[in-house]
Amino acid sequence: MNMLLVEEQPLLRKTVSMTARSLGIGTVHEAATVQAAERMLLERAFEGAVISIDCGVQDGCHYNLELLDKVRNGMSASDATIPIAVMVDQATADLMRELRDRHVNRVILKPFRAKILLEAFESFSAPAQKASQRTENGVTRA
Amino acid sequence: MLPAPIPDYDKERLAALREMLILDTPPEQRFDKIVEFAAQEFDVPIALISLLDENRQWFKAKVGVDVCETTRDISFCGHAILQPDLFIIPDARADERFADNPLVTMPPHVVFYAGAPLPLPSGHAIGTLCLIDHKPRSLDATERAILLSLRDLLLEELANRAEEI
Repeated sequence: MNMLLVEEQPLLRKTVSMTARSLGIGTVHEAATVQAAERMLLERAFEGAVISIDCGVQDGCHYNLELLDKVRNGMSASDATIPIAVMVDQATADLMRELRDRHVNRVILKPFRAKILLEAFESFSAPAQKASQRTENGVTRA
Repeated sequence: MLPAPIPDYDKERLAALREMLILDTPPEQRFDKIVEFAAQEFDVPIALISLLDENRQWFKAKVGVDVCETTRDISFCGHAILQPDLFIIPDARADERFADNPLVTMPPHVVFYAGAPLPLPSGHAIGTLCLIDHKPRSLDATERAILLSLRDLLLEELANRAEEI
């Protein structure tokens, strides 16, 4: 499986990518920026994505939903319905509504751990089975 | 207590370590980031990059301890470098090799230990990337794989550093 990870922290990105490969979960392609992710989404079809939507220190921008919209509106090489998890500093009611509208499968809150991201990628290969496990474990879902 | 054994090839191992010109050098952000990441990822109070010198283990990067070295004989890492795989002690208090080790009976009160050896291309392990907790625990398959990935990233940084010198 080819999957996409959009996250600015290099150590977290590389750890997830290398561990996914060693565990046989799949190939996690790394994008450090939204711009890099946009290019990759046009060039290759992915079967799932974990996307950090925090804008960091940019003025007036808390979350960037642009990538989600592009995928869900069919403006990428991937199927518009691929499973997507988002990474976010904190979940507000408004944000959760926005994510639900975009059919986000899972929300991952800080502190971001490689293990949690790997679980998300692993769930993409068996969505139905893993979804029931996540619900049992009480993991937040949009 | 079983003192950390000295392998037959220790002379060659020490020569390889000293060629790296890394012992007793100042902290470096690229290594500090790795132990900070490891401590957060595994939720442990202590994470170290420990290098095994002739009579001591010296910490190139550390989270959760103030000292920069201990003697080699009491080091857990001295055991960890003797094998290619992860060296995991779920509860040192229940392990006769470590139960009366001063690192267990006195601060920093090591209970759980997991060390990933740092092999050079020559095959000699110069030290470990290790995790320590004050309570018993274990690592599942995913956590073991994550620790090995972090170890591999650390080896890349060590190789990059060697090229820069």
